[in-house]
Order: sequence, then structure tokens, then C-alpha cells
Amino acid sequence: MSEYVLELKGITKIFPGVKALNNVQFQLKPGEVHALMGENGAGKSTFIKVITGVHKAEEGEMFLNGQKVDFKGPKDAQAAGIAAVYQHPTSYPHLTVAENIFMGHEIVKNRMIQWKAMNAEANKLLQQLDADFDATAEMGTLSVAQQQMVEIAKAMSTNARIIILDEPTAALTKSESEKLYTLVDKLKEDGVSIIFISHRFEDMYRLASRVTVFRDSQYIGTYDVDGITNADLIKAMVGREINDLFPKPDVEPGREMLRVENLSRTGYFKDVSFSVKAGEIVGLTGLVGAGRTETVEAVCGITHPDSGKVYLEGKEIHIKQPSDAMDLGIILLPEDRQKEGLIMSWGLGRNVTLPTISKYAKNGINDEKKERELAKDLLEEVDTKAVDIFQPASSLSGGNQQKVVVAKALSQEMKVVIMDEPTKGVDVGAKAEIYAIMGELAKKGYAIILISSEMPEILGMADRIVVMCNGRKTGELSREEATQERILELAMEKGTGKGAGK
Amino acid sequence: MAGKSGRSINNVPESSIKRMIFSWEGILVLIFIAVNIFCAFFSEFYNLSSLLRQMPVYLAEVFLMLTMAYILVLGEIDISVGSIVCLSATMSCIVCNTNAPFIVVVLTALIVGTICGAINGFILTKFQELPPMIVTLATQIIFRGIAEIVLGSGGSISVTNTDGFRMIGGKVGEVPYILFLVLILAVIFAVILGKSTFGRRVYAIGTNRLTAYYSGIHVQKIRMIIYTVMGTISGLCALFLVASSYGANTTTGNGFEMDAIAMAVFGGISSTGGKGNLAGGVISAFIIVCLRVGLGQKNVHAQVILLIIGVLLVAAVALPNIVGQVKRAVQVKNK
Repeated sequence: MSEYVLELKGITKIFPGVKALNNVQFQLKPGEVHALMGENGAGKSTFIKVITGVHKAEEGEMFLNGQKVDFKGPKDAQAAGIAAVYQHPTSYPHLTVAENIFMGHEIVKNRMIQWKAMNAEANKLLQQLDADFDATAEMGTLSVAQQQMVEIAKAMSTNARIIILDEPTAALTKSESEKLYTLVDKLKEDGVSIIFISHRFEDMYRLASRVTVFRDSQYIGTYDVDGITNADLIKAMVGREINDLFPKPDVEPGREMLRVENLSRTGYFKDVSFSVKAGEIVGLTGLVGAGRTETVEAVCGITHPDSGKVYLEGKEIHIKQPSDAMDLGIILLPEDRQKEGLIMSWGLGRNVTLPTISKYAKNGINDEKKERELAKDLLEEVDTKAVDIFQPASSLSGGNQQKVVVAKALSQEMKVVIMDEPTKGVDVGAKAEIYAIMGELAKKGYAIILISSEMPEILGMADRIVVMCNGRKTGELSREEATQERILELAMEKGTGKGAGK
Repeated sequence: MAGKSGRSINNVPESSIKRMIFSWEGILVLIFIAVNIFCAFFSEFYNLSSLLRQMPVYLAEVFLMLTMAYILVLGEIDISVGSIVCLSATMSCIVCNTNAPFIVVVLTALIVGTICGAINGFILTKFQELPPMIVTLATQIIFRGIAEIVLGSGGSISVTNTDGFRMIGGKVGEVPYILFLVLILAVIFAVILGKSTFGRRVYAIGTNRLTAYYSGIHVQKIRMIIYTVMGTISGLCALFLVASSYGANTTTGNGFEMDAIAMAVFGGISSTGGKGNLAGGVISAFIIVCLRVGLGQKNVHAQVILLIIGVLLVAAVALPNIVGQVKRAVQVKNK
């Protein structure tokens, strides 16, 4: 038997116009957790799809337990004991958990589905995973974390010996991530080999014993997690050293721009007050579900607060819908770039000018020449890696998509920019660039609210930090007094009973 | 101005001549020519003057296509327009028979249509989670139901004083008024959809409603306007329909919504929203009008004409897919 359960050599995959993978290699030892890291667009996803038989590589060989294999499709990979769990579970929301687990390989007798056996089997798997829900629960009613658990159960039901987890913690809260870690440990004990893709260094340190880095479709190296420093790893991923990940400029905050007083919305948040000055970056943090996004959505008119007041430059304002907020100079850059931030099939230029087209139209007719010029200027200002303004937003990496979202906010005179998780799913290199843009905006006098779950980001960029828990503001820290521990303490304040009436 | 890294992003569009020829609209022009050649060979009566004489009946439906295109670009559908046409036609006939001035008759048709459209719009914008297909199916039944009640047991009404309708059915030389009106409205609607900020917003809503909303677009206001105008245009369609038959009955406007949708989809306006333009829609509408006139001249059964249009429609929907697959196959081979 070979030393590796899975070994790939010299894999090259070509898509029309691009080499998505160029002569990459990978080795997976039995029972190890192996992290796969790299910037967005480095070829990780394509590589995974080659392993799972979705894509066929033009060149290269793949060995499973020392035997050469050649997968014709995903079915072959599944039969060989390889399963993948994706970031966004691809499930059937209206079916039960058991049906989802056994989709495609139902337990049948005389062509009839054996419901009892299937539910029992599913429950057995869920028990092994310490799940807190039943196999007959409807998939759509579960949280993302629970749905992921179902996907893992599904992988186990096919007797997978190699499980690939593609950014599993991206959508999870801290405690849910912890649960996932224990789950992975358990799988490892059972002798399952795991490939783990994540942008979070935390995940890697906690779980993996080795890490392989890809960059620009090429294999860079495989390292022991114990023997590599953060800086070296970033350098391997980005290809250059990032000296200053958080280029926080020293800006003397000006006068107060936005003030929120005792804003409440039943069931979501209660009595939230904060303010932000010109040139200031205020971090709004807390665990996922603390009511951060809901609060700013109410400020921007996407939802409506039940009570409370919002002031802009000292004057009380009443915002009914997002367009009102924008007319006043308040813009929310939403968390979900693909669903809320951009029109993915549209060209970059049109995306950028979408909020402002009417401002430079003549008698309601678009001035396309002016529009193209403005789009070019703004996209270059945020340094988007793009060829032209006509390429669809979907062709960009996550980080560059985020820059386009920021460019949208710059297309008009704004006073307050609210960024909701601007670096979610963004790789290290692009993160640094987004922080740089944020710093530039602050220098120009924008008042910035940064919503983020990432502690280093909040500590690195924010002048003041507002912490929320269970729909309430639990504290406010200055840049000097803020530490990871203090923020966590406030974010996990005990006694969930005094939530916002949930 | 270049970015911090000095990267320059191109903003010069590629020449549009090449794009135009290979676009779906380019293909439609060829089909239009082919259909006319076919009709000329098929029917010895088919020529410009017979076409101009016989097209008004079919042109009334082209009005509906113009606004239906907007609704399709929104990613929605309105299947109540045939019933709105029926109700507007019925009401305008009734008002006409009271010897009211003709302007009042015209206003009746337009206002009845507008109210019906506004009802659709109101329901759809107040209860945003309701699917347009179901809501307009309900109003389809309601509007036609009202018309049937008003028409009573006979189920039909004739105009006693036809002067007014005869007037709008008139022509300049050989060209009927309605053709002018269709072309003028087509240009206006096409420019608004293709070139104006309003049109851009309609595309934005049809492609990604949430992003549009977050970008400060008045999604519900725009939907309300479009559904209401759809009603007004249905009233206009009703007027010209009465002008060609001098009456209305319970089957007036039956299936018009589907014809309008068929014209738009054949013109490349995707029913899933955000795609297509009115140039395609208008050319395809005229292809169907010519086909109907030509085949109608040789007494080809109306059902057969529908069948041919149906086949064309399936081909139109499938063709872009097939072309795309061939293109990809060629690209991969060339690599």
C-alpha cells in the first residue's frame, strides 16, 4: 500500500482562454487533515472539481491508494469514496433531512423507498455527529451549520474515506465553528482523510497538520503547519510580503455625521445608539445574529425601525427606502455581493453607475459616453483588476467584486458609508487593498461604519468599536482600550434572556 | 487617470456593426425578408397594398407587445391583458351607443384599461410575495367576468354610430393610421427601454431585484407604472379592435396576452427577465403580422397559422442554446 491515500501529479486543466491549473501536485496521507490555501482564483476550486470528477484534467495522473484512477464523472469519485461538502450546501430545502442524506442512493426494496429504515439510518448518522435535530426535520428549517452537518452525514452515508470541506466555516458563527472542529476531529479519529479549504488561518491552525498552497494556478509548496509562520504563509499565498495589512491612517475625526438614538425593531434589536464622525471608522461587531446587519438595514430604510431616531449632521432624518438614504448621502454596501451588491451578469461599468444614472442623464436619456468615463475613473480609483468596463462582474474574484461595490458608493457624493463584512470570502492580498481603500475614504472625510466578525479587522481598522449581543449594544470601546478578549466578553455577554424579545 | 498600480481599464466599446449583424435582431431581419418572399410566392395577392389593407386587425396586438416587453424584462408576466382589452372594448361600445362624443369613447377605453392595469399593479406592489402569473390569472377571470355580466345574455354588443371608429380606422393614402401609431409608439417605447434611465432600472430589477433595491431604485414604483401603462395600452388596443369590427363580444381579446408574449419572446426578450430589446420585439411582431396576412389570404386555417408561429417560437427559444453549445464546442476544439 502506498504512503498516500490520494496523490495527484502534474495536473493541468485548461478552460477556454485560461490555464486554471498548471502542473500542480498534491498528496494526502491517511487520516490527516490537509489544508488547501491560496487566494481566490488560485485554482483551489478547480482542483477540487478535478478530484471529485466534475472536471477532467487535460494532463496529469491521480492515484487512489497507489492505484491509478481515471474518473469519468462525479459518480465515479463518489463510488471511490470521495465526497465534497461545499460552502453553500446544495440541498433540497423542502425535503426532509433523511431524504437529503440519501438523495441518489435511497434505501429501496422492490423499488419502494424504505422510509423507516432510511430515517433510522439517518438518525444513526446524525447521532454520531452529535446533531441536535431529527432526520424527519425539513431541510429548509435548519441553520446553515446544521445543513452542513447534513452534508457531512451524506458524505458518511456513502462511506466516503476522503471528505473535502470547501470553506465550511465561512458562514458559521464562532460556536458553530467550534462544533465543526470537533466534528472534523471525530472524522479524523475514524480514519477519514480530510481536505480543508479555508481563508481563515484560525481554521488551519486548529485543524490541519499540513498545508498546501496554490498561487496563480500553480503549486507553491506543502508545509507542516507547526513549522510555518503567518508571515511566510501569506508570502507564499500572495507572492509578496504584506508589511502593513491594516493601513489605518491618522485622521482627526471631524464633526458628527450620523447619530442613531435608541433604535429598536421588535425581535431584531433594541435601544441601539451610536454615532460616527467624519473621517472616523466605527467598527460594529458581535457574533453573527447579534443584530448588526439588521440595525444598519433599518438605518438605511431597507427595513423600518419601530422606534428610535436617526440624525444626519444634527438634523433628524426619516428614511423610508434605500433611495432616501442615498439622496441624503448614506449608502450601505451589503454583505452578499452576489445577491445584493452587484448584478453579476452586467458589465462592471453599468454596475458602478447603477445608483447614479439619473444624475447625468439628459431628459431621462442616459449619457453613455459620460457614464463610461465615470465608470473607468471610479474602477481605476479603487484599483480593480479588470481588463475593461464591459466584462461581467461574475468574471472577477471576490476581492475585486468588493472593490466594484465600493466604487458604486463613490459614484455619488456620500457622507456615510456602511460596509457590511466587506472582506468576507476575500483573500489576503485583496483584503489589504480593501483596507487601503477604506483608509483613503476616511482621509477624504467619509464617515465609515464597518460591520465585521473578524477580530483582527475590527482591531486593525476601527477608531471606535461598538459591540452588540442579542440585539443590544453591550459596550463601546476606544481603539486604545480594545482587545480581543474585551470584545469577546462583550459579544458573548451572559444571560441571553434579556434579548430583544426574541 | 490611472489607478495606484497604474492599471488602465479599457472603456471603449467594440465596434457595433459586427455585433449588429450577428445579433438575434440581425437574424430576425433575415427571417422577416424570408417570410415576405415566402408569402409573395405562396399567395398571388400578397403585395404592399394588400398588406397595408389587411394588417390593421393584427397590428392592434403589436401595441400589447410593446408594454408586455417591459413586463417580461422585469422577469414577470401579465396574462390579464386579453381580458382588459375585452372589458375596455365592451365599455367603449356601451358609451358610444349613448351617443356620447367620440372623445369620451376614446377616454372610456383608455381609462377602463388604465384602472384595470392599476389594479394589477396595486395588488402586485402591495403584496409583493404574490406571483404575477397567479394574480393576473385571477384578474383575467375577473375582468372578463365583468365584461360578460355587462354584455348580458346576448354576449355581444354592436356599435350603432360607427363614425368615430371609422375615423380612427382611416388612412393616409394607403397607409392606415394605426401603422403610424404603432411605429411612433414603438420608437418611444424602444428608446425608453433601451436608452433611458427608466429602462436601465427596469433591466436592473429584472436581473437582480435585491441589488436594484439596495442601489436605491424604486422597485415597486416602477412595477406599478409598468402594469398601469400595460392597462392603458390594452385600452388603446381595444379601441382599434372595435374600429375593425364595430363591436365587442365575450371572446374579444381572447389569447391576446399569449400573442403579445409570443411576439416578444420570438424577438429575443427572455421571459426570465433582464434580456432582450424592443428592436427585436418589433421586428418579430411584424414577421408574425406579415405571416398572418400572407397565409390568411389563401385561407390557411387560423389554427395552422398558430401552429407555424408556435414552431417558430420553439425554434427561437432553442436556437440561442444550440448556437451557444456549438460555439463552445468549436472553442474547446481550437484550444
